[in-house]
Amino acid sequence: MVNNKKGSHRGDSSHLIVDSCQSYPIKITSVSTLACATFSESSTTTSKALQALTSAALVLPGLLLTPAHASDADRINFQFSRYQEGKRDLFGVPNNLKPITADVLHGSGIFSLTDRTKFNFSYTQDTWSGATPITISPLAANGNRPILGNTATGITTVGASPIINNSQVLLDRDLNPLRQDSQNHQLMNKDPRSVMVLSSASPETRNQANFGLSREWNEAALNVSGGFSRERDYKSNFGNVSGRLDFNQKLTSVKFGSGYTSSNISAILDHDASPYITKTAFSRQIESRGGSEILQGNRHDWTGNLGLTQVLTKNALLEANIGYTHSNGYMENPYKVMTVIFVDPAVLNNNQTTPITGDMRALLEQRPNVRNQVAINTKYIQYISAFDAALHLGYRLSTDDWGINTHTFDANWVQPIGSGWTLTPRIRYYSQDAAGFYNPYLFSQQTYRRNEVDSLGRQIWIDAKNPNIQYVRDSSFNLIDQNGNLVNEALLNVQPKTASFDAGKLPENFSSDHRLAGFGALSGGVTLNKMIMKGVALEAGFEYYTRASSMQLGSGGRNGFADFDYYVANAALKLDLESTNLSMPGRNLSQHQDSPTHHQHKAPPAGIMFGHMLDKPGDFMVGYRFMHSWTNGNMMHGAHKVNDQTIVDQGCSDTTLCRFTPTYMNMRMHMLDIMYAPAKWWNIMLMPTFMDMDMNLRTLAGRPAPVPGVHEHQGIAGHETGAVGDTMISSLVKLIDIPGHRVHMSLGLSAPTGKVDLQLRRLFQIDGGLIHFGMQLGSGTWDFMPNLTYAGEYNRWSWGAQVNGIKRMENQNKSGYRLGDVFQATTWGGYDLTRWLTASVRGAYTVQGAIHRDFNSFNARIGPMDFPANYGGQFWDIGLGLNAIIPGGRFAGNRFSFEWVQPVRNDFNGFQLERKGALSATWSYRF
Amino acid sequence: MLIRKIITGIFMLTLSIGLSGCVSVAAWERGNLAKPQMALDPHPLQSTVRMHNYGSREAAASTHSAEGGGGCGCY
Repeated sequence: MVNNKKGSHRGDSSHLIVDSCQSYPIKITSVSTLACATFSESSTTTSKALQALTSAALVLPGLLLTPAHASDADRINFQFSRYQEGKRDLFGVPNNLKPITADVLHGSGIFSLTDRTKFNFSYTQDTWSGATPITISPLAANGNRPILGNTATGITTVGASPIINNSQVLLDRDLNPLRQDSQNHQLMNKDPRSVMVLSSASPETRNQANFGLSREWNEAALNVSGGFSRERDYKSNFGNVSGRLDFNQKLTSVKFGSGYTSSNISAILDHDASPYITKTAFSRQIESRGGSEILQGNRHDWTGNLGLTQVLTKNALLEANIGYTHSNGYMENPYKVMTVIFVDPAVLNNNQTTPITGDMRALLEQRPNVRNQVAINTKYIQYISAFDAALHLGYRLSTDDWGINTHTFDANWVQPIGSGWTLTPRIRYYSQDAAGFYNPYLFSQQTYRRNEVDSLGRQIWIDAKNPNIQYVRDSSFNLIDQNGNLVNEALLNVQPKTASFDAGKLPENFSSDHRLAGFGALSGGVTLNKMIMKGVALEAGFEYYTRASSMQLGSGGRNGFADFDYYVANAALKLDLESTNLSMPGRNLSQHQDSPTHHQHKAPPAGIMFGHMLDKPGDFMVGYRFMHSWTNGNMMHGAHKVNDQTIVDQGCSDTTLCRFTPTYMNMRMHMLDIMYAPAKWWNIMLMPTFMDMDMNLRTLAGRPAPVPGVHEHQGIAGHETGAVGDTMISSLVKLIDIPGHRVHMSLGLSAPTGKVDLQLRRLFQIDGGLIHFGMQLGSGTWDFMPNLTYAGEYNRWSWGAQVNGIKRMENQNKSGYRLGDVFQATTWGGYDLTRWLTASVRGAYTVQGAIHRDFNSFNARIGPMDFPANYGGQFWDIGLGLNAIIPGGRFAGNRFSFEWVQPVRNDFNGFQLERKGALSATWSYRF
Repeated sequence: MLIRKIITGIFMLTLSIGLSGCVSVAAWERGNLAKPQMALDPHPLQSTVRMHNYGSREAAASTHSAEGGGGCGCY
C-alpha cells in the first residue's frame, strides 16, 4: 500500500514507485510495468531517485487521458448488459404489454502495432423489444383500450390496443377533457390527466462497429477513428479526430476533438397506425414499396469539444470540457405522433354551455430541422487517504436552441477493498427543462376536414373519377356545372369537395415525446471489480434509475404520466494482454516463439466445439467463437425441391393450409469460451452465447385467400430476434494422453438462458403470437451434451474424430415444446502449411429429431416454419478450414481459425428451407 | 442570458486555474494521482453503458459527442 505522507522524501519515493508496480495492476498496469522496466534497465548508470522521478513522469500519460484513451494497455473486453424498464402507469387500464427490454453485447480491444501506435476497435450489438409510447392523449379519451379475448375462462382482457385516431373526446367550454362513465355514458367530472398510448414492437437489432488508430508522443497524442451503426430503419456513419497536448510537466493537459456523423433514416411506418396518422407534412419523404410506407430522412451532426485536465495537488485533479454539437436534417422520431384535438370554432363559440366534442387526430411529430447544443462539464477528483479511496464529483450543464437546459450532478466513491476487489457506489441527479415545442397534446380551433364552398357560399361537389371539374347545386339540389348547365348525376360519382385542416394554424413544431418533456431523474448504482488473476478482471455493475416529473429543478409535476423507472445490470470480463506475459513489448520473445509448437497441441477445425484441452494446471483460456449460418433458396421436402402448391397443401397440417413460406433465414451466434484447468487431467469450460437471427417470408402461390381476423404477414419487413442464447457449462476429462494420441471426454450442460417465448407484435389489430420455433433464442430446456474426442498428430499431419450429442432432459419448455435430440459424428485431417498455419478438411454427419409437442399458446401458423414436424433431419457436410497461431512478436499466442461448412446432402424432416452453409471463426488466447 | 454567463464563468475559472502555473506537484509526489481509483474514468465500460442509456432517455447534450457513435436508440 502506498503511504502518501512520505511522498516528499526521495528515499521513500522510490519505494512508492516500486510498490505501485506491485499493488495496482488493474488500470495502470502497463504504465507501472513500464516504469519498472525503466527502473531495471537504467539502474547501473543513474541514481535510484532519478529513476523514480523518470518513472513517476512516465506514470502520468495514463493518468491524464480522456476516457477514450484511458485503456492504454493492450486489452480485450467483453461485456453483456441488460436494460429493463418498469411498466408504465396507464391509470388502471389493463395492460399486458411487456415493458421495454434491451440486451447489449459489447466487445472491444486495443492492440499495440508499434511502441507508440495502437489500433482499437469495438463492436456493440443491441436488441430491444417491448412496448413503447407512441403518443400522449387525455385519459378521458380512453387511448389504451383493453382488448377482450374469448378464453377458456370466459371473456378476459388480453391486451391493450393503442387507439390513436378517429376517436372523440368530450370537452367543456374551457377545453378541459370530461370523463364519461363507461357503463351508462353519463358525464362525470373534468379529468385533466394525460396518459401515454403504448404500442408493442417485435424485437429489433442494432449493430455498431468502431475502428481507430492512435499515436502517442512524449507530450501529445492523436486518435483517428470511424465506424458505423446499422439498424433496419436507421443507418449512420461517423468519423472523428481527437488529440491531447501536455504542458507544465504534464500537470496540465489540453484535449480536443471533432467529429461528424451522417445518418440515413428509412422507417417503415407502423402498419396498424399508419392509415390513421396524418402524414401530410412529410408526404414528400414517404414512399410506398411492397405494401409498406417508408419515411426517408437524412441527418448530419457536427461536434467539437475542448477540454482541460489539471492536477491541483498531489491528491486532487480537475477536469473541464466544453462541447458543441450542430445538427440538421430529420431529427424526428418517425414512430412518434402528436395527438391534436380539433375543435370546431363555430360550435365552441355558439354561446352555449353544453359539452362539445373534440375530434382527436394523430399527426406525425414535427421538430425543428436545426439544433445547436452546448454542454460543459467539470469533474473534481479527490484522493481520500484515510480510506485509500477516491471521490469523483461531477457537474454538467447543457443548453440548446430547442429550449432544453439540463443539469447533472454525480458522485462516485471508488473504494479498493483488498484482495483485488474494488467497490464503487455512485449516485446521480439529472434535471431537464421541456423543449419549447413539447406538449402532451394540442388543441386546434378548426375542423380536421371541412366541405369547401365557392365564392357565393355554395358547397362544391366533384366527380371522384375526375376531381378537377367542380360542380355546385342549385336551389332544387340539382347538380350544375360551372357554366350553369344541368348535369346528369347518374353518370358521375359525386362527392362533396373537402379540404383538410390548415396546417398553418398549427404550431410550426410539435412533439409529445416524453424525452423532450421537463423532468428530473435520480439514479444510483454500484460497480464491483475483481482481479481474479494477473491480467484478468471481472466487473459487474448495477444501476436503478427513476424519472419523475416532480423532481424537475425549479418547476415540474405536470408530466407525471410519463414517470417510469428502469434498471441496468451488466457483467464484463476484462483481459489485460500485457500483464498476461505473452505479448509484452521489449521482452525476450524467443521462449514464446517456441511455446506454441512445443507446449500446445494442434487445434481442431473452427467448427468443432469442446475439441481440445489445456495441459497445464492453472492455465486459463479465453476465446470468442462466431458462427454465421445461411438458409435460403428452394424449399425442400426430404431431399427434394418442392413447388408452392405442394407446400400449401402438405407443408402445414391436415387442417391448415400454408399461406407463407420463408425466403431466407440467417443466424449469427457469438460465444465466449472461458476455459480453466484446475488439474492436468481436468478442465472446466463456460460458454455464454448471444445470438441474433433474421428472416423474411413470401406469399405462396396458390395459397388460400386471407380470412378477416387471421394473422397475415404483410409489407416488406422481415422479422428479427436476438439476445442471450443458452449457456453451456462443461467438464472435460483427459482419458488418454500418449505422444501423438489424445482422447478426452466432455460432459456438458446447456442451461436454458435463451428466451423461447418471443412474440411477434400485433399487426392489423391481430395478435402475432409466438414467433416461429426457429427464431426463438434457445432450447428452453436443460440439455445434456456429452462428447468424446480423439486427436492425433505426426510431424506436419494432424487428425481427429469426435462424436457428440444433445439430449433434452425435460419433456417441454415453458412454451410447451422441446427441440429434437441431436447426434453428430465428425472426422478431420490437417496439414501444417507453415509452422503457424494449418489447413484442414472435415466431414460431418448430423441427425436431429423433429420438435416434440407444440406451442402451448397462440402462434399464427402461417407457414411450414410454425409446425413442429418441419424441423430436424439428416445432414452430410464437408468443412474446409484454416488454423493460425501467431508464433512471435507482440501478438504471440493468439490463435485464429476459420472454417466453411458446405452442405453436401440434406434429408430434411418435412418441409424446410435449403441450407446454404455456415462460417465459423474463432479467436483464442491462453495464459 | 444566465446560462451563458454560468458557462463562461466556469470555463474561465477552470482555464485560469490551469494556466496560472501556480500548481506544482513534483514527479515523486504523484503516487496517489497514479492510482487506478484516481483515473479520470475508473470504469470506462460502465460509463459507456450508462451514457448510452441516458442518451436514449434524456435530451441533454454531451461533451463526449466527438467520440462518435450513432444509431437511433429509438426505444
